[in-house]
Amino acid sequence: MDKRLFGALLLGATMLAGPAFAQENVTITVWSLDDENQPALNLAREFSEMDNGITVEYRQIQFDDVVSESMRAFATGQAPDIIAVDNPEHALFASRGAFLDITDMVAQSEVIDPDNYYPGPLNSVTWDGRLYGVPKATNTIALYYNKDMFEAKGLDPNDPPETWDELVDAARTLNDPAANVYGLAFSAKANEEGTFQFLPWAQMAGGGYDNINTEGAVEALEIWKTIIDEKLASPDTLTRGQWDSTGTFNSGNAAMVISGPWELNRMLEEAKFDWGVALLPVPEEGAPRSSAMGDFNWAIFSTSEHPEEAFQALEYFASQDHRLFPEWGQLPARSDIELPETGEPLKDAALKVFLEQLQYAQPRGPHPEWPKISKAIQDAIQATLTGQMSAQDALDNAQATIDGILG
Amino acid sequence: MDISQTAIADRRREANPISRFLASMRDGRGFDILLVAVPLAFLIALSGLPLVYNVVMSFQQVDMFSLGTFWRPWVGFDNYVAVFSQPETWPILRNTVVFVVASIAGQFLIGFALALFFTMDFPGAGYIRGLFLVSWVMPGLVVGAIFNWILAGDFGVLNYVLKSIGLISENIFWRSDIAFSLWAVIIANVWLGTAFNMILLAVGLASIPKDLYEAAALDGANAWQRFWTITLPMMRATIGAVVSLGLIFTLQQFDLFASITSGGPNNSSNVAQYWAWELSFRQYDFARGATISTVMILVVMIAATIYVRSTRHEVRG
Amino acid sequence: MTTTWTQRGLLLAALTLAALYLFPLYWMYVTSLKTGSEIFATPPAFVPIDPQWGVFQYVWGLRGMGRFLWNSVVIATGTMVLTAILGTGCAYVLARYRNIWIDIALFLVLMLQVLPASLMITPIFVGFSQLGLLDTPRFAVILALTAKTMPFFVILVRATFMSVPSELEEAALVDGNSRIGAFWFVALPLARNGILVSAILIFMQAFGEFVYSKSIIQAVDLQPASVGLNAFMGPNTTEWNNIMAYASIYVTPILAIFVLLQRRIVSGLTSGALK
Repeated sequence: MDKRLFGALLLGATMLAGPAFAQENVTITVWSLDDENQPALNLAREFSEMDNGITVEYRQIQFDDVVSESMRAFATGQAPDIIAVDNPEHALFASRGAFLDITDMVAQSEVIDPDNYYPGPLNSVTWDGRLYGVPKATNTIALYYNKDMFEAKGLDPNDPPETWDELVDAARTLNDPAANVYGLAFSAKANEEGTFQFLPWAQMAGGGYDNINTEGAVEALEIWKTIIDEKLASPDTLTRGQWDSTGTFNSGNAAMVISGPWELNRMLEEAKFDWGVALLPVPEEGAPRSSAMGDFNWAIFSTSEHPEEAFQALEYFASQDHRLFPEWGQLPARSDIELPETGEPLKDAALKVFLEQLQYAQPRGPHPEWPKISKAIQDAIQATLTGQMSAQDALDNAQATIDGILG
Repeated sequence: MDISQTAIADRRREANPISRFLASMRDGRGFDILLVAVPLAFLIALSGLPLVYNVVMSFQQVDMFSLGTFWRPWVGFDNYVAVFSQPETWPILRNTVVFVVASIAGQFLIGFALALFFTMDFPGAGYIRGLFLVSWVMPGLVVGAIFNWILAGDFGVLNYVLKSIGLISENIFWRSDIAFSLWAVIIANVWLGTAFNMILLAVGLASIPKDLYEAAALDGANAWQRFWTITLPMMRATIGAVVSLGLIFTLQQFDLFASITSGGPNNSSNVAQYWAWELSFRQYDFARGATISTVMILVVMIAATIYVRSTRHEVRG
Repeated sequence: MTTTWTQRGLLLAALTLAALYLFPLYWMYVTSLKTGSEIFATPPAFVPIDPQWGVFQYVWGLRGMGRFLWNSVVIATGTMVLTAILGTGCAYVLARYRNIWIDIALFLVLMLQVLPASLMITPIFVGFSQLGLLDTPRFAVILALTAKTMPFFVILVRATFMSVPSELEEAALVDGNSRIGAFWFVALPLARNGILVSAILIFMQAFGEFVYSKSIIQAVDLQPASVGLNAFMGPNTTEWNNIMAYASIYVTPILAIFVLLQRRIVSGLTSGALK
């Protein structure tokens, strides 16, 4: 007999026999938006390769498709075991019993301890006092600024703007249409990104998603309008997401940008200038700070046939939280993890700012109808910035819609 | 079919129903009906039922978790009332009409002009015409991404070119200016659709017998007259098919909206098909999404009726 | 002499028009070679300053593009074959008869396509999951896609059959052929070119399909290249040069085939029966 054939047969036999000797093999499916350069795919692969009788089938889904794909799958009984869902959308599923209540499993777990998590992310996985998931990571937004440009325009590169007025003034100074430089870049896009960027401004001025037409929020929106009207930021701010907006900062076409820590790795690579990060400017000196709280949560679908195995996977993911920052540049949603120095001075300095900013981060919701609340806010932003309504009217409209939703 | 033949076939069939059926399969209309019925049944199952699902849903209260069933609370016309009382509804319907008319007109006129141009005799005409067909092969996703770059306000190449040749002095923010955003998508859609218009119209042009033109030329008709008296009338069927296919493709256009403007800013470039998707999958209001879909189906039914009537006229006339 | 000059002028005009029309395509190739920040630069560079040729190899290796392309080919071929099988007969009958029922059939064929795939996918997904078709996802996509491409095919091929003179078929019937025989041995061969070419157009359309594949095919191994492309396009992972490089690899082979075949495609559609 051909040796190779024999070998193949032997291998086949082992493979057939293998699972019978080991514990019964279970396959769980994980859906997440992460690719090769992000944690979920790698962690899922590692967990799958561990000798624990659990195989993970990983499916990458796009950010935009997470909810629609999983809803469709859930409605037809095809839901995965584990899903990573954006934090404001967690309540949508949790409130309807689509996610598994893991409160008791967490209570018995030696790996996951709710006390270790920041309150914002933890709040987003909680519904009615019960836990329906585990925060996957967290992020927030702050102000990146181009120190070289500050210097060139006579601004102090070590004294970035701290208030809204200072921000607008700095943007006016830095704005240089002849050189194709805008003072500021941010995103007012008509999707969750617009809400994500605007809500902190409203919150700092005493507003909130349930109270969006306060005087301060109107003022915030008017400042946004000033920035767009005076072309201190590109008109494309209305249709451009945060990542593309930051791209213009990296290429030297914007002097400041409001965005999050997910930009750090790319910025280190592409920005050919000295830059820094500052806390999000506040309405006036001494005003309360606020920021957005972003990123995804892990959850187990209530239809899962292997909830224990799925929870084991979540435990493994949580146990690797200390690797999130050094390996993939994401911030763990936990206060008990000391982030190591990366050796990149720019990145370490930025990290310090983001960690401070994170303390002021407020979750969006949680509310099961968050997408509609968010849409009302986006509509107000867009109606105002396109000049079709005054900030006051637009936010009054939004408030009326939101009141209808909150009941 | 020939009468005597039918008579023979009839006599043969009288004996028993099964052989009659088989005979009709071989010789009669049964064969034709089979050829049409199978694909039609297929289409009804895979396109018709989903449409029914949408229509039914527009009369129901729908919840993201009841997507898998037909049995949901019935609410009559509530969804329609709700949709038509939204302030954005009429502007969006108006946009849809503008989008459809401008896209079809643009695709058709450019496509027709190119098709006519390439009927002229010059070296390489065939090959160069072939190059125009590439937009047919381009996935919508890719086209959207490319036009996203070309139309960008600050670093878009279109603005740069227009500025360089002095047509504009300030950048146009194609995607973000409410006066232009819909036109940004129309430009991309015209680009995408020109190829298929051109190829179908070229086919139509090639099937016009050459001697017609020669005869007309002998009669002293100039090129313009020949176009109006020969080309256009002979092209009626083709034009009908091209325009109605264009209508379907334009109404189906979704990728370009998703990648260029997302219907924004402030719904200035939103159209019915994108809005229906947005309501369903961004706000999870499936009932209203289905309501818009149903309105679209109604409108297209009317358009299709007109098309069918026009082809009947052409056949008999 | 004058004709030559006219011809040269026409050729020049044709080349200019083609260059204008193909600019978006050129921009795809150029963008793929730029560095991340160069893409955002003003004024835009018409020729990349520092072309990143390595990007193609990088993208090819990144996610096993060969497999994605293979799946695209499988789906496109399946769709083409199924569309041709179902659509040819349909087009034939629709071309042969002219009465109210044919009008209604034509009407139905056309009208069923009014909604974009993104709105059809939910009911189709629900139906397929109940029929268990999601276990054979590529086949499921072929079915869904065939329903979408058939109207186009039927309208094209119907036009071809209409140019087959019915006298030829009647002669065949008189010669003792059955209706099937007349269809199979007379009409079909005469319309062969038109059918082939329409089928090729369907193949190319199906090759770029995205919405159905994305939702129905969940196993990465079975996904087509369009879904692979989309995987690049998340909000925080938009590497435009890679996206464009991927798109270039995706469309270039098919573009090449298309350009080579296009003369036959146009003549195939136009020649119909009598050539």
